Amino acid sequence: MNFIKRGFLGITRKKGKSLILLAVIFILGNLISGAISIQQATTNVEANIKERLGATATVELDYEEMDKLSEADWENTVIEDLSVDLMKQIGELSYVKYYDFNIMHWLGSESIDSYQGDMEGEVVHHGPSMDFMLKGINYAPVLDIEEQKAKLVDGRVFTQEEVDNGTSVAIISNKLAEKNNLNVGDTFTLVNEVYTWDEETGEDNLVTSRDVVLEIIGIFESQTIKQDDSEGSSEMGGMMDFMDIEFQNTVYVPNPIIVDEMKYQYEEYLKADEEYAEMVAAEGEEASFEYYTPLYVLNNPEDSEAFAEEVAPLLPNLYKVHSATDQYDSIAGPVESMSNLSRYVLYAAIGATVLIIGLVVLLFLRDRKRELGIYLSLGEKRGRVIGQILIEVMVIALIAISLSLFTGNLIAGQVSETMINADDQSYQDDYMYYGGAIQTHLTTQDVLDSYEVSLNSSFVLAFFGIGLLTILISTVIPLIYILRLNPKKILM
Amino acid sequence: MILEAKDLNYFYQDGEQRRYILKDTSISFEKGKFYTILGQSGSGKTTLLSLLSALDSPHSGTVLFNNEDIKKIGYEKYRRNNVGIIFQSYNLIPTFTAVENVLIPMTITENDVPEDAKTVAYNLLDYIGIVKSKADRPVNKLSGGEQQRVAIARALATNVELILADEPTGNLDEEMEQEIIDIFKRLAHEHDKCVVVVTHSNEIALQSDQAFLLRKGVLTAYE
Repeated sequence: MNFIKRGFLGITRKKGKSLILLAVIFILGNLISGAISIQQATTNVEANIKERLGATATVELDYEEMDKLSEADWENTVIEDLSVDLMKQIGELSYVKYYDFNIMHWLGSESIDSYQGDMEGEVVHHGPSMDFMLKGINYAPVLDIEEQKAKLVDGRVFTQEEVDNGTSVAIISNKLAEKNNLNVGDTFTLVNEVYTWDEETGEDNLVTSRDVVLEIIGIFESQTIKQDDSEGSSEMGGMMDFMDIEFQNTVYVPNPIIVDEMKYQYEEYLKADEEYAEMVAAEGEEASFEYYTPLYVLNNPEDSEAFAEEVAPLLPNLYKVHSATDQYDSIAGPVESMSNLSRYVLYAAIGATVLIIGLVVLLFLRDRKRELGIYLSLGEKRGRVIGQILIEVMVIALIAISLSLFTGNLIAGQVSETMINADDQSYQDDYMYYGGAIQTHLTTQDVLDSYEVSLNSSFVLAFFGIGLLTILISTVIPLIYILRLNPKKILM
Repeated sequence: MILEAKDLNYFYQDGEQRRYILKDTSISFEKGKFYTILGQSGSGKTTLLSLLSALDSPHSGTVLFNNEDIKKIGYEKYRRNNVGIIFQSYNLIPTFTAVENVLIPMTITENDVPEDAKTVAYNLLDYIGIVKSKADRPVNKLSGGEQQRVAIARALATNVELILADEPTGNLDEEMEQEIIDIFKRLAHEHDKCVVVVTHSNEIALQSDQAFLLRKGVLTAYE
């Protein structure tokens, strides 16, 4: 009849009280289990989505901050350009896996046709044709290929020598190559046209042009865009088509080629527009064409915040770091609100459990105060008396918690489905960050799709840990209150 | 001497005043004798017993068991190994059977306990007058006299030399009272135990080997 056996006998001999305790812990266990389920599910969504958003970051103008500036502020504000040296300095930080800085330019062509996808024949040109996006790169292996946004299906990437010297070589998409029957080793010609604009007629007038002849050294295949046409709304589908077409018409070239073409355009324009040329000459500033946008690929998406914090002091006024993971906050509304709610429910459930179980155990112990006094009068160690009661409560708690593990998880699944559906109504505007160096196309629906309430080992461990600890605390506190008395005070 | 109390003081603090329940009380007991401590309600006899049984501690003074201070032995250990306590209200565990109640101290004590503890418990109960069929009943299904017998068997279960009883017959009728007193006498005289009973009954006091009177915290011999 040691204290362990007494504990088990206590459960079976007082069936009514054991069942009441079981029911109370089961109900509260459901609350804790449900809240932990939702918490875990939202945490998993965050990790999953951030992984899909990627570990990229760029430095760009902070338009929100600019909007806050008054006219007086603007008079004293000079927006500096981002220097290549600074971009390189940031690229050397430990968070950065590799980086590039790019410059974009759009050119047309008379010898090749652009890829138009499903919109073939629907596109009507107004003004000069600029169907081909030249994407200048400084990182010879090409970031888009390294990051599996594109896959090299033929040929090779650039050499650093070609990039540094601005050699006339290019990597184009397989769709563009197929459409124009182009292969690695072929050359194709783009046209850099210089126009002026006639204020009276509102028309563009071609002033001059020159050919840009590029040799194809590699052919890539798009890996990310337009994965599933059936996904998303029709508006989103349209945007996806547009992004796909633009990507297929992207021509990767070394940065110096674009700088050279932009310089040509500028200089020819000055020749054609004397008035503008005089104005520029009066200002006396030398034109710069090196407006690069940096793109940093980080070692880990979770480094984004730390990277931004470390970079911020290096940046000129009105610049900020934009990370791909920043989009998470914009698209994760329903899940975030549920995460917050479940966090409050978890705290409340734990608080309520400690209080209610504490009160229930206290009531039970009041009935058994005399029994505890008897054990003490017989010389039983206080630790063993506590152990006996703990065995009684914890065995019942273990059963109740094991049952509520499944039911709470089930309820959490149902509740979160209802809440997500209700909350999703207010997040119908899908968000897409498009432009600049980072292009992501995950939507709120993607977030909701990756939300899943499930039983996994970390959830089971967390639930048993939190549940049993809560009950342990709520049992030991009233027990200590009673057992600090001497036996005479309890019995006589 | 098996048990000796020296200069025990016990009081309640009433504001700035001390209300003494026991004042410089000294008393000693030998093995093989049946003692009674007589006193009116509120005379301090239960307090004295609780100090002798280490259910409470005195404000000053010492209790010696076989010439060793029970504080040194450790109150809990002293209760566990050296003394059997019997209460007026029996203080049995109501959800357990009579034999289970007797078995409890056997698992708590550090004294040698026979391997077949359950048989010993049945034998003890039988010796006290509880047959096996009743020994297997929950104690709350037994009469008052039977419950007190179970309490006596429980006090004897650890084979201690000292039995302290607080008004053990207070809830029993006269016939049952005599049966219980006879058991105490047998324990003292046949089994060499020291039995100390606190009572307000003159009849019981007259049957003891030595009686003491406790009045206003002062102990005197009762003739």
